Amino acid sequence: MAEMSLIDSEMSPGWTAVSLSGDLPALTVMPVTVGGVDLALWRGGSGVARAWQDRCPHRGMRLSHGFVRGDRLTCIYHGWSYGAEGACLRIPAHPDLEPPATIRTIPVACREAGGIVWVASGATADLPPDLTGWAPLRSLTFAADRASVIAALGARDEAGILHTAAGGTDLAVLLQARAADEITAHVLVPETAGLAARIGAVRWLETARRRAEGPGPRGIAA
Amino acid sequence: MIPDAARHEWYPVAMLSELAPSFAQDTVLLGERLRISRDAPDLPIRITGPDGARCAVATRYGHLWTSPGGPKAGLFEIPEAAQPGRRFVDCGAVRVRCSPLRAVENFLDVAHFPFVHTDILGAEPHTEVERYDVQVREESDEVWATKVRFFQPMAARSAEGGIVTDYAYRVPTPTVALLYKTCPPRPEERDVIAIFVQPLAEDLCDVWPWMALFDDTTPQADLVQFQQMIFLQDRSILENQIPRLLPLDPGLETPTRADLTSVAYRRWLKKRGYTYGAQTVPA
Repeated sequence: MAEMSLIDSEMSPGWTAVSLSGDLPALTVMPVTVGGVDLALWRGGSGVARAWQDRCPHRGMRLSHGFVRGDRLTCIYHGWSYGAEGACLRIPAHPDLEPPATIRTIPVACREAGGIVWVASGATADLPPDLTGWAPLRSLTFAADRASVIAALGARDEAGILHTAAGGTDLAVLLQARAADEITAHVLVPETAGLAARIGAVRWLETARRRAEGPGPRGIAA
Repeated sequence: MIPDAARHEWYPVAMLSELAPSFAQDTVLLGERLRISRDAPDLPIRITGPDGARCAVATRYGHLWTSPGGPKAGLFEIPEAAQPGRRFVDCGAVRVRCSPLRAVENFLDVAHFPFVHTDILGAEPHTEVERYDVQVREESDEVWATKVRFFQPMAARSAEGGIVTDYAYRVPTPTVALLYKTCPPRPEERDVIAIFVQPLAEDLCDVWPWMALFDDTTPQADLVQFQQMIFLQDRSILENQIPRLLPLDPGLETPTRADLTSVAYRRWLKKRGYTYGAQTVPA
């Protein structure tokens, strides 16, 4: 389908972190953007996280404005409900109708590992990067391009994961490009890091964000 | 470039009650700037296009109307506007970042009431849309939907408790829609509610609601506030549909039986070649 190829062409290959697991509670849906592609990220009552193209097949309404009951995501416009596999299960305007199997949402590969929710374009055989020993700290969105974010963090790339240090605390950083100049950093600390180290790391990250974004409106910063 | 089919329709560009005895102001229609003026209180209103050419003017139904390319016919009739005893309510514009055609299509839809206008125009579990009639009336070339019945917890400002409301819908011109619905205080009559849509761009419009009601008691402010609440709820939908333009070709969206009015409206637009605010598949 056309929508699938859009995702394939605009999302970078491989897994992209889109949320800390703790920021996606059960029975919620939220919008996420990866490389300009809008997705509805949701978690049903069974606890599994899923990502679909952010568009109801009925009238194109954003599914991220909908609501989750049990293990179904429901569109806010006409209440069409979609089950975990993306099939439309209920059309409230026609309560006795079994919706045709052709009415489906467009799924994107979604996994949860290391306390992070990941999405990928198309099918991918690989697993998301191994984050054993790391604990999620927080996500932070920068109004800056990728190179500025990496420079402000003083980060170096090791096997696809950025590493840096906030004072004495090591950090692992996963970048999600919402757009070319809007980058979300999902940051992890060593599992052993204490409360003071975590608070210190958050302060350090906020300083790094100010550095990346520069003092004035976008584009003026050096 | 404005398609010809769009240039020759009538569009609302102002609310008459808001115009001073003499004034000059600009507005935008179909992406072009228009000058609206009245030099003195006893002179007619003048509308000029970007090239200085005079445009057609009509002052009816509480609004000022024009047609940038010259109208094919006179402004459509609303017979109820001449009916004694009706109260006419103009509400002011709600600006919506959406296609003018999506705004009209949403107005023609009852299935969203329980989810978007919850506990006002609809409520779960009363979600069923029974079969209704849709036709394009040949003599007038208008889209009509009739015998639309829907359970409503609070159908109008004057309603007390839930009722099954009877609706009829009428589309006289691509960016105007009217509905006729059960009038709680006068069972033999129907209230008329309309939206007059002013397309500013293909994905931006001002929606001018207008009502012709049998209601002598509800304060004007309450009637306007009720419509404002409904249209602001609709706006949260209309600004979040993808794509912003209305798809005229089947395939991208999935209608069901409840969407028959929408299907007829899209076909009617396509037949007229009305593509301003529409997404069409390149041939």
